[in-house]
Amino acid sequence: MFIYEKKLQFPVKIATPNPKLASYIISQYGGPDGELGASMRYLSQRYAMPFAQAKGLLTDIGTEELSHLEMVASIVHQLTRDLTDEQVKANPGFAAYFVDHTAGVYPTAASGFPWTAASIQSTGDALADLTEDMAAEQKARKTYDNILRLSDDPDVNNVIRFLREREIVHYQRFGECLRNVQEKLDQKNVYLYNPSFDKNRMAKG
Amino acid sequence: MNMENGSTDRCPDRCGTLPSCAPLATGYVPFQQVGSPRYGQRDALSNGTLFPALNLPFHLAIPGSKVSDGPLGELQALCFVLQELALYLDTHPEDAEAFALFKQYTAMEKTARENVEKNGGPLLREQAANDSKYTWLNDPWPWNFEHNEVK
Repeated sequence: MFIYEKKLQFPVKIATPNPKLASYIISQYGGPDGELGASMRYLSQRYAMPFAQAKGLLTDIGTEELSHLEMVASIVHQLTRDLTDEQVKANPGFAAYFVDHTAGVYPTAASGFPWTAASIQSTGDALADLTEDMAAEQKARKTYDNILRLSDDPDVNNVIRFLREREIVHYQRFGECLRNVQEKLDQKNVYLYNPSFDKNRMAKG
Repeated sequence: MNMENGSTDRCPDRCGTLPSCAPLATGYVPFQQVGSPRYGQRDALSNGTLFPALNLPFHLAIPGSKVSDGPLGELQALCFVLQELALYLDTHPEDAEAFALFKQYTAMEKTARENVEKNGGPLLREQAANDSKYTWLNDPWPWNFEHNEVK
């Protein structure tokens, strides 16, 4: 089960609202490489993991991604607080979001495509899933790089820098976990069986 | 697990260990070595990692970030170190030094949590049962600008 803790993992305190910037950052909420996808990907994949270490790592990183989802939402919420009609009209990039969602937080890509489970996988194969997870961390890191290119607000960039660094640490841990899984498999052919599915065959060697 | 190269020589801290021979057609990330240098809790939170070796910022990132030094900032920093140690232990479960740190930081986090809850209200809903009325609903909520004021 999950219990809500009434604090953020890292403080979000944006002094200056900026709806245009919010319309980019929303992509890490509901875009193809965003935090919603990350949390759903890892928390769904963990059920098929054959080894305790992989179950634990996917649970712990998947849970951390939920706290990143909350941080990204907090950035978007604070960047769009106390807006006037004039500010909305002056930001055509944000107006397209505004017409559907006002200043609510909605899981969509910056390009306007709503969040879709089609951007994640849960393959039921530990090697395929962990390899996808490493790619997912790189794709999210790239999105944070691009947000840093577009944003000159130090309050926002403080948080984005933190979130970007988490992708690098997670990549390292998924890579170590992949190696730990591989070492438990047949060293002559790690693809002989699917360790998530062919459990009986694995036990017989 | 961490010394598959068969040598007891340490790689530089920014490097990890790889097997000397390894099956083809598989991915290999170097293992982080045991005993990597660590930041203190505030620098860990502000850099987004406990480990200087893993701190790899983008060229446009502003160096380090400012984290409030109030009780909430202290709790966030301690919780963050625990998260980093947990992910490290998930892939290095036999590292006794890291586990000892995990215990030590857990005790520090408990104290910091009590300091936040004394003035800032409950962090977990069940803690509201200790107050004279139902304080769980009290503003500000974490995503509000005001929540992150220095207290």
